[in-house]
Amino acid sequence: MNASLTRIGAIVVKEFKHLIRDPRILLAVLVTPIMQLLLFAYAISFDVRDLSTVVVDQDQTPASRTYLQSYTSSGFFKVVGSVDSVDAIDAVFQSSRARVAVVVPAGFQEAVDRGDKAQVAVYVDGGDPNSARIGQGYAVALNQVAGQKITATWAARQGLDLSQAGRLDVRVRTWYNPDRSSSIFLIPGLVVVIIMIVTVQQTAVTLVRERALGTQEQMTISPLRKVELMVGKLLPWTILAFVDVVLITLMGLTMFEVPLRGSVLVLAVSAALFIFASLGLGLIVSAISPTLETANLIAMMLAFLPAFLLSGFAFPLDSIPLPLQWLSYLFPARHMVDISRAVFLKGAGFAEVSGPLGMLAVYAVVVLALATVLYGKRAR
Amino acid sequence: MTDSQPAVVARGLTRAFGPLTAVADVSLEIPEGGVFGLLGPDGAGKSTLIRMLATVLVPTSGDAEVFGESVTHRPGRVTPRIGYMSQKFAMYPDLTIAENINFFATLRGVGKADRRERSARLLEGMGLAEFAGRQAGRLSGGMKQKLMLASTLMHEPDLLLLDEPTTGVDPVSRREFWRILAGLQREGKTVLVATPYMDEAERCTSIAFMDEGVITQRGTPDQIKALVPGTLFELVSPEPRAALAAAGAVPGVASAHLYGDVVRVLLSGTDAAGVAHACANAGVAVDSLRPVAIDMEAAFAFLAEEGEAA
Repeated sequence: MNASLTRIGAIVVKEFKHLIRDPRILLAVLVTPIMQLLLFAYAISFDVRDLSTVVVDQDQTPASRTYLQSYTSSGFFKVVGSVDSVDAIDAVFQSSRARVAVVVPAGFQEAVDRGDKAQVAVYVDGGDPNSARIGQGYAVALNQVAGQKITATWAARQGLDLSQAGRLDVRVRTWYNPDRSSSIFLIPGLVVVIIMIVTVQQTAVTLVRERALGTQEQMTISPLRKVELMVGKLLPWTILAFVDVVLITLMGLTMFEVPLRGSVLVLAVSAALFIFASLGLGLIVSAISPTLETANLIAMMLAFLPAFLLSGFAFPLDSIPLPLQWLSYLFPARHMVDISRAVFLKGAGFAEVSGPLGMLAVYAVVVLALATVLYGKRAR
Repeated sequence: MTDSQPAVVARGLTRAFGPLTAVADVSLEIPEGGVFGLLGPDGAGKSTLIRMLATVLVPTSGDAEVFGESVTHRPGRVTPRIGYMSQKFAMYPDLTIAENINFFATLRGVGKADRRERSARLLEGMGLAEFAGRQAGRLSGGMKQKLMLASTLMHEPDLLLLDEPTTGVDPVSRREFWRILAGLQREGKTVLVATPYMDEAERCTSIAFMDEGVITQRGTPDQIKALVPGTLFELVSPEPRAALAAAGAVPGVASAHLYGDVVRVLLSGTDAAGVAHACANAGVAVDSLRPVAIDMEAAFAFLAEEGEAA
């Protein structure tokens, strides 16, 4: 046991020396995650504000101007100009000057005054589906409000009192993230994705490198056991990955005002298991890859694709095909995203996250055992 | 040291890589003590044989015992007694000499006090002490090889398996390296060394010649040289290539080679008059033509040709 610990210690010390002497690795592990966080958090924003909008006011009346004013004041739309005709909208969309166009046809004021149904048209650029969907949603909501206002004004003029009329009043409340800010939704998941990318990538090359250097042969003829090598390789990276977790969490809390409602302990324990699982995944890649290039490529595919597409960090997993949903359970990221969000946003404790936490624990053990078995000590 | 048990006994050792058989049915006995040289051209199977003995490569068939322990069944009992130096520089280039030595010795189970004492002694003996803090990747070729040897010696193995340890090393460093090996031999260690250099073969106590996966000749350097029949002549000429062509066609010439600027002619008899004649007829000037002792270079060339003819 003592000899075993001495050997593991030797590996750990050696790995740290590699780290310290290769600034590129430190850069990759400590600076890249910060860059990724900033890039992803700002780039993958689903919040749509200030949608560029042009207006076509063919009525030119106080009513049409009041109606169009409601777009400007909403904050969701930013009126960048006006054009003369519906035909001109095409050119505006093509040049990406605006993504939304609102057309008020002639006769708007008259229809309102008569108490008729006044018609307006909203055009949305479908080239950017996310903005289009949200723009459309905002426009519909806006028109409802405007429509009610117009109705109320009209009714008041007619001397009717509509306040007693039976109306269904639906109020929707969003819990945990009342503003539905996408950074609050994204960052707890982003922590997971970034850790996955950093860890898998780094351990994927570590065993292959020993083989390429020829140092693996010297280890083979020493009493070092495979599992000792694995543990020795994992420990330094676990510590570094933890530094990343802390770093990203702190940035999330301060810069993006993500709340941390649950306990730090639950988060730390889950993160440790998740890191072990991811590192183990990297070790498997390293154990079976013939060359550094192969290892890098497999690690890239293994870390990026499932982490991005199958973790649920950005794209809801309920809407993907069933086989892909099953596949998502095969990667640790999905479980950790569940835990992370539950702890950050909902204040979940051990009891609430016991399901995914158990999965992570099993995963970590299986993956590490598999890496140890797959790593061939002697050339056959 | 007793001579009751040989250091290495190989029986029918075979290793195939796909369709290629690198080592074919090699049986070999290496007595304890002494420097055993493994000679042969590139691709003869020397590295493969050594790697199987070092337990880092599993034989396709056959087995070998190192100090009585099987390399296939009990590699864990073989490894503590061997030191293996691969042909490739197998140290971490970003770690210093001292760190590399310390790391591998720790893995080998050498205690802290022993590590300190032995590394100091070995580095001092090899002239590496003043470079202990230098990164291994920044060492010269000769220093790299000495570092590997020092690291190999840290756990005090009884058998050293050295795969072309001096390839690509300058002549001065090579001589120094062999002086260290001679010292190890005096300590009673057994050294198995693969080498492409004939001058190094002369320094071995016993050698085996390997070609195309099999050992074709074995013996002491004198015995190997005695295998070469006839007399070796050295011919010095201002036009060595023309002289080589002229000499090669003379009846009774077993082989003719260019050795530097000198033509070496192996004659089945002792009379070189025919060679002198042929050169004169071809209009090639001859500065000198004299018999020399057969050395390993000549024996190697002869044995390699025999191998091709067979």
